[in-house]
Amino acid sequence: MAPISRKENFLKGIIKENPVFVILLGLCPTLGVTSSAVNGLGMGVATAFVLVMSNLVISLVKNVIPDKVRIPSFIVIIAAFVTVVQLLMAAYTPALNEQLGLFIPLIVVNCIVLGRAEAFASRNTALSSIIDGLGMGVGFTFALTLLGAIRELLGSLSLFGYKFIDADGMLVFILAPGAFISLGFIIAIMNWMKNRKRSPH
Amino acid sequence: MSAGLLTVSPSPHIHTELTVPQIMRGVIFAMIPALLFSIYNFGIGALYVTGLSVLFCVAIEYAIARYLLNRAASIYDGSAIITGMLLAFNVPSNLPWHIILIGSAVAIGIGKMSFGGLGNNPFNPALVGRVFLLLSFPVQMTSWPVQGATFSLDAVTSATPLGILKEGIRSGTPVDTLLSEMPSYTDFFFGLQAGSLGEMSAFALLLGLIYMLYRKIITWHIPVSMLVTIVVMTGIFWLIDPTRYASPLFHLLTGGVMLGAVFMATDYVTSPFTHRGMLIFGFGIGVLTVLIRLFGSYPEGVSFAILIMNAFVPMINKFAKEPRYGVVKEKRK
Amino acid sequence: MATIKSSFLNLLVTLTVITLVAGLSLGYVFQWTKEPIAKAQMEKQLRAIEAVIQGYDNNPVTEKYKVATPDGKDSLEFFPAKAKGEMIGIAVKTKSSKGYSGDIRLMVGFTMKGDIEQVVVIEHKETPGLGSKMSDLKFLNQYYGKNPGQMNMKVKKDGGEVDAITGATISSRAFSEAVQVAYETFQTVNHGPN
Repeated sequence: MAPISRKENFLKGIIKENPVFVILLGLCPTLGVTSSAVNGLGMGVATAFVLVMSNLVISLVKNVIPDKVRIPSFIVIIAAFVTVVQLLMAAYTPALNEQLGLFIPLIVVNCIVLGRAEAFASRNTALSSIIDGLGMGVGFTFALTLLGAIRELLGSLSLFGYKFIDADGMLVFILAPGAFISLGFIIAIMNWMKNRKRSPH
Repeated sequence: MSAGLLTVSPSPHIHTELTVPQIMRGVIFAMIPALLFSIYNFGIGALYVTGLSVLFCVAIEYAIARYLLNRAASIYDGSAIITGMLLAFNVPSNLPWHIILIGSAVAIGIGKMSFGGLGNNPFNPALVGRVFLLLSFPVQMTSWPVQGATFSLDAVTSATPLGILKEGIRSGTPVDTLLSEMPSYTDFFFGLQAGSLGEMSAFALLLGLIYMLYRKIITWHIPVSMLVTIVVMTGIFWLIDPTRYASPLFHLLTGGVMLGAVFMATDYVTSPFTHRGMLIFGFGIGVLTVLIRLFGSYPEGVSFAILIMNAFVPMINKFAKEPRYGVVKEKRK
Repeated sequence: MATIKSSFLNLLVTLTVITLVAGLSLGYVFQWTKEPIAKAQMEKQLRAIEAVIQGYDNNPVTEKYKVATPDGKDSLEFFPAKAKGEMIGIAVKTKSSKGYSGDIRLMVGFTMKGDIEQVVVIEHKETPGLGSKMSDLKFLNQYYGKNPGQMNMKVKKDGGEVDAITGATISSRAFSEAVQVAYETFQTVNHGPN
């Protein structure tokens, strides 16, 4: 891997290698919980925490883990952090915990967490792994919050729970099909902007 | 699309004397009886909704083609007019204008242009718009105005026969009792029932079907296989337990079956090429419609069934090839 | 990459150590969050009770007890509300499984006369924008101050007096059923003036 600066390492997760919009990893919670901006933000922060912590621990212990049990060891470490997050959320943010429900334990199988562990943390130093985890976590949170905000805005005409107009929005955006439609359009717009930058007319 | 001199399109290349605008004009003609009937039935509201819907669809298609895709606008082939009319046929006649605007934008924008315009869309655009509206505005989309309330945009609402049936069966009322409170089958046939703008009168829709068959715009395969499947399937359930399932005739004459069979499922772009494929396609729509009606949570399932089968069309085309170069009437692109 | 060879002993030791460390730290976090979690759950119930009964000074959650429904199939949680040691009302946690999707759980506050003080929705999985409107005051206020013994709790479509939520008759019906069950169960223990 070519050496990159810390700043680049952090920033790549937000736009260039955004886990949701570009790498298309971790789509299950992305589509499942983003019915409101708060849900997206909460889910994003929880995942970001797991990402940073598991990246850190895995980069620290990478040298003492034999190759053959690499994946099981990573999963145990990730699962432990997910359980920690779940307990903490049940204790201190019970309402959000109930909203997100099953999707919190499902962070364990979120591809982006294991993906970064395998692709980055297991071959880089602790510091750059933390930065990578932070960047990816922020990118994931950004994506989920954006998607949640769009769906909330169109679906219930409110943002972060604040209602603008006292009327019904387009319900479909709160339901599952709305998640697919919104995500599709965000990705399309991002690709369009990228192409435009590349070939200036 | 525009009938240029050099058209490159994937095979099969089937020759036909009808051009796209001619076909589209024929379809529009065929829809006129149903439109006239709904104006007679629902009054000026029906005309208002249809006009707005057509206007929005054409305008949006023009705008997208011209300003987003930077190419010649394809509105003169008439396909946007058909989409607009079909969308209007699938909604209540008292729908507010902003919902019609959203429906048109989704039908043309998401259902058609995002795939590349006429000929490339896998799903029937009008149905994409309709289902989007149904999921988005369930209250407005299922408040049907009472027929005969002429010149009023917000008449009293009532449930469709299918809605009453589903509700009633769920609370345990026998079908006979429910049917006795509804209009007769003759009334259903001529369209004296609550429902979407263009779906009520089987008679008017059949006139359109006959016209299109006569002009050889469509073949009989899809409508017939779809209707026969529905009759056979509902018939089996009806014979098993007539207190819980309504008769095949009821299912044939209510809801969107006729509209779907005549105008929606027969859309060129989103149905199979071959006659064998069409029979399979119609059969699939029939089965899904009956399953949704009898066991699903929605009272009506025609639009979902057609959209689901639209997704299978590429597969049907692959496996239901005609063995020889036939006299098929489809025209692609 | 890993510098340790994948011998059987190494695999065994690594996995054992990792799971042990993970397990121990989880045990620690569990101990640490046990009390806050219990507190959060109690607060949630207290908030629901507060919303349906006013003016009590005891802790209804610690005094809760279960009562079997009249048909004997289920039992509901009763939270007695007392002011200065005297019963002023009971909050009943009730549910209906006849909703559009999943159970609907409600907290219904009764005065000792059997009047409904207020109802709140604790949990539901109804369609957002349709059935979810059962949490709106516009719908809930129909029950406020009513006595199910004197009022037909069914929705108007079934011959009752409750205006169903537009487009969500099934959810409204389930809601009314849950309230009715709560009332009937309440009546089996309370034979006050009615």
